[in-house]
Amino acid sequence: MKRTIALVVALVVLGSVMVFSAGNKEAAAADGKIHLRAYMQVEPADSQYAGHNAIMASFAKEYPNIVIETEHASGEAFHQKFQAMAASKQMPDVFTCYGGARTAYVTEAGLALDLAKEYLTEDFKKGYSSATWAPQGKNGEIWMVPPSLAVCHVVYSNDKLLAQLGLTFPKTYDEWLTQIPVIRSAGYYVASLGNKDPWVMNSWILSLLVDRLGGPQWFMQAAQGKGASFTDQPFVRSLEIIQEMTKKGMFSPGVNQMSNPEADQEFYQGKSVYLIDAGWRTSAMDSDLPVDLKESISMHVFPAISGEVTHNTSTATVSEGFGISASLKGTAKADAAWKFIEYYSGPIGAAIRAEYGEVPTYNLDLNKIKMDTMQSKFAKFQSEYGMGYVFDAIMGGEGVNMLNEDIQAMMLGNGEPKAIATKYEKFVAANDLNRL
Amino acid sequence: MIQERGKHRAYISLLLPALLIYTLIIIYPIFMSLGLSFTKWKHFKMVGFVGFDNYLAIIADPSFQTAMWHNIQIMLISVLGQIPLGIMLAYLIYRQWVKHSKFFEMMIFLPITISSVVVALLWNRVFSPVGIYTELIRTITHNPDYVVKIFENKTFAMIPILVVLLWQHTSLYMVIFLANLQRIPESIFEAATLDGAKESTIITRIVLPSLSNVIFTCSVLAISGSLKSFDLVYAMTAGGPVDYTSVMALYLYKQTFTYNNYGFGSAVSIIIVLLSVGLITFVRYLYAKAQRKYE
Repeated sequence: MKRTIALVVALVVLGSVMVFSAGNKEAAAADGKIHLRAYMQVEPADSQYAGHNAIMASFAKEYPNIVIETEHASGEAFHQKFQAMAASKQMPDVFTCYGGARTAYVTEAGLALDLAKEYLTEDFKKGYSSATWAPQGKNGEIWMVPPSLAVCHVVYSNDKLLAQLGLTFPKTYDEWLTQIPVIRSAGYYVASLGNKDPWVMNSWILSLLVDRLGGPQWFMQAAQGKGASFTDQPFVRSLEIIQEMTKKGMFSPGVNQMSNPEADQEFYQGKSVYLIDAGWRTSAMDSDLPVDLKESISMHVFPAISGEVTHNTSTATVSEGFGISASLKGTAKADAAWKFIEYYSGPIGAAIRAEYGEVPTYNLDLNKIKMDTMQSKFAKFQSEYGMGYVFDAIMGGEGVNMLNEDIQAMMLGNGEPKAIATKYEKFVAANDLNRL
Repeated sequence: MIQERGKHRAYISLLLPALLIYTLIIIYPIFMSLGLSFTKWKHFKMVGFVGFDNYLAIIADPSFQTAMWHNIQIMLISVLGQIPLGIMLAYLIYRQWVKHSKFFEMMIFLPITISSVVVALLWNRVFSPVGIYTELIRTITHNPDYVVKIFENKTFAMIPILVVLLWQHTSLYMVIFLANLQRIPESIFEAATLDGAKESTIITRIVLPSLSNVIFTCSVLAISGSLKSFDLVYAMTAGGPVDYTSVMALYLYKQTFTYNNYGFGSAVSIIIVLLSVGLITFVRYLYAKAQRKYE
């Protein structure tokens, strides 16, 4: 009798669990709406994503029949879980992915829809800046629509300090070097940079130097090993400049121990005259800095270098955007996901994000949009300077990581430019996808 | 006979769920990992079996050797630092040689209750180039270029991490030893004192032999914990600058999840397991030898 009662209780419990755990799904189907499961590399609480939050709210209002259930993660945690999703084929409907190799575990594995085949039309593409549509896959695939360009090199200057020291932003690299003793003797650091994570030096300075000294054609030849290599002068000279800047005291002490936020703080507190950082820092500056400080900050690019072949350039990449799961191909869900991406990156989303300081890939007349101080400076910056490539967005991750560590070692006095270039070239020749 | 069979059935039915779960989440992944360790991966796909090539490449890789040396340093500080210090602190408190021993017990135990990530962030905040300690020294010495140089030293960059590990984990061992010291009858200490035994004799003849089982268990914990060190190192330095503070688990993580070399990463994990088992067996041998001496 007891056994029968126990069995009945167990079955009731099991049955209840099964019924109630299926509740959401039933409700989803019953409410007549399309529910999209999204996985985004976004931190909604971070002021940098205020524009994103505003678009999500606006989209929900505009399209009440499309419900986006979002899971957020950032940094390495985002990639770990995304890799697990990819490996178990439990892909979300909409997700953040990269145009480069960073999310190749999804794009190369055929888990992302090729938007070029499914949705992108020439009419649609016309609305965006041409750099938006650089091929992302080996066969010209487009996995995601980048809502904005990631500008990876800006030299911010504190003009109030510069004026106080009787200096102006240097026109040449050599002039910049001559400013070091002046700035240091006045008790300030020259340039704040947080290279604790060693990719910073690569993304924000090396890319710029290589582009200036070698130009895009030489770089593509070196990447593919066709008539050029990383032992050539442009690459070696770029490393030499980083070494020279370090030795001559251009960077704050402990540059390789300092994180990005710490370097930013040093600059904001008026301890350094320059900050070398990315363009997207402007949104945080607008929300965190007092008006007088924002007004005294200017945005420049690295001064002219002797022997450079491209001039007055910064660097930018399409970086990341939202993609759609390949498993949704041809379904109403895929159409709903595209509707969201279109809204996010198109005229409405672009205008909202521009108000929050992002400079969108969608062609907007930014003069008509009311922007904060730093955001309007950033918009002007993008219209004034040409954009070169970002080295680590093109070259394979394993080799770049090795190179970054070697550059960091060189900055600490344990390496020489030529030896680093030779080691990197050897690695690229044997392993990099660009050469294979 | 029938009763015996019934008993067996009952035992099996009780064991089966646990055994199934254990097989699924422990045994299966270990064998899967072992199998993967003989494979090569490229572009997120397995491209074939490579025999022991992964193992040979790992052993020959200077980055792995550096990481392993750092793990050995952590192991040494754990076994020869945390455990002896834990015994000493436990003994001090147990014998009540310090006033307010309960207060000290609580204070010493505090670090282990804080998450490793929080500990790492706290220490970073203090010693970073814009941290409190650095600012203080810059002000006192009027040297604006001062930074804690040890973090940038190839040979000694691990020392700050070792200090934090010692500070954080000694308390755990202290509590374990204190609990076990309290199990030794008070009368033994009294008898030894009446017989005129010196403190050193009490420690070597009574305390240490009584704690030998616990010391062995703690050593096993310390060794296995040291070889899989990850969280504190990752949060404090992420293995940098360069690879000056890299450890084997970080090396494994990078190979597997950043470069997607799943076969190579699995081989690293197998090497870590083998090292753990080997070292624990060695400690077991030493423990058995020590036990025979006291018998």
